[in-house]
Amino acid sequence: MTLKRRILDYTLAGILLLLPLVIFRASVRDPGDLTAFDRAVLRLSSPLQAVVGWVVDGVGGTWSRYVWLVDVEEENRELREENEKLRMQASVAMRRATDTQQLEDLLLLKRRAEAETIGARVIASSVNEFLRVTRIKLDRTGSEVDVGMPVVDSRGLVGVVRRAFGNYSDVMLVSDADSEISVVIPRNGARGDLYGLGLEDSYRCKLRVDKRSGPVEVGDVVVTKDLGAFPGGIEVGVVSSVSDTNYHWYQEAEVAPVVDFGSLSRVMVVLSPPPPPDPDGDEPAPAKSAYRVGSF
Amino acid sequence: MRFVAQVFFAYGVVLVLGALWRFTPFERSMPDVVALSAVYLGLRARTQVAPAMTAAVVIGYLADLLMGAPRGMLATIAGILCLTGHFVQGRIIVRGRVVAGVFSFVVTLISGLLALGLRSAFGLSSGPVGSALWTLFLSAILTGVMGPWYFRLCRLIDARFARTQRERDEALEGHP
Repeated sequence: MTLKRRILDYTLAGILLLLPLVIFRASVRDPGDLTAFDRAVLRLSSPLQAVVGWVVDGVGGTWSRYVWLVDVEEENRELREENEKLRMQASVAMRRATDTQQLEDLLLLKRRAEAETIGARVIASSVNEFLRVTRIKLDRTGSEVDVGMPVVDSRGLVGVVRRAFGNYSDVMLVSDADSEISVVIPRNGARGDLYGLGLEDSYRCKLRVDKRSGPVEVGDVVVTKDLGAFPGGIEVGVVSSVSDTNYHWYQEAEVAPVVDFGSLSRVMVVLSPPPPPDPDGDEPAPAKSAYRVGSF
Repeated sequence: MRFVAQVFFAYGVVLVLGALWRFTPFERSMPDVVALSAVYLGLRARTQVAPAMTAAVVIGYLADLLMGAPRGMLATIAGILCLTGHFVQGRIIVRGRVVAGVFSFVVTLISGLLALGLRSAFGLSSGPVGSALWTLFLSAILTGVMGPWYFRLCRLIDARFARTQRERDEALEGHP
């Protein structure tokens, strides 16, 4: 190679070395500035890289899912154990959440109610075919609870105290065959009595309404009647079906209780009804209990 | 045409590696294909270096675009490495896997240090120095492992464009 050609060659090499340096300097000042060539290269390269990535993803996925299964069994065992542990934790958390919600509902009810109440926890249910009885443990000691006192939860009337002994009481549910309550339908003011049916397969009750009070319709809410000894307006149930016998004085209907007796855990015993207003200062007449208990 | 083929080959390898590397556990450490290509072109430039440097600079520029580096950075480094390869090709015989591997390792270190130097000269941050050097070291090892195979493929491309049997044999053996 002649000297002239060598000089020319190295001069070109020098220019080729300086040119990218200049481009680099310009690029540092304005990194986002791309030429048409740059954009064309990037537009061509990006889909190609995406295709390569997609192919590798597919091959790698097939390999790991169907061929390389060495650690799968161990991983499965660990995941099953962790799953079991998390299920138990979730179950405990759900139970606590339910209990907390019930306690909050009862607290709200206690604040709203003017009557004096005492909280209690359900500790056992009767499986006797003749009785619908639930045993409760009072939250505080004392002999305040007496037979005949109503028991409620945040949803409505549960039943009445049937027996009281120390911190414990037996509650007869509204669906017990011996149960009888004076009720009213707020929609039309119809008055009647609610009787427990004591059925094996459900907690349904029977409502008997004086036909002169007004007709009963499916969906009607049934609440306790305020007779003084018992706070009125406590929801008892909802009319689920109506039967009409034109030859009787009474209209009969079936009522589904609002309380879910299967999931009872926290209740309140109404110790005394709210004092009635006394505008004249006279002693009020003794009130008749809204809740009559059958013979036992 | 040989240089065009080398450019396309290097571009393809950079493109595929860029798409594949995220599936490996090496994160930022990657074989330095640009350094390998540039130094190979320089080693093979027996008489004229300008065509080899043109190809090396183009490879560097394409890698800048594909890797998101500041445009011109890898192109400059590729030019320097190509020139370096040209100057040492009469003094070093890069043959055999071990020698090729060690040579690739050293070239990558030089390339990485040049990159760090250029970035700091133009005010670009490279992160903590220790972390950058460790990444460079791992890249050099990976390039040292890949180097012998990459040089062999480049020789095959050169052999493909050889005009005579002698040129083909020289290309395959790695003679400049």
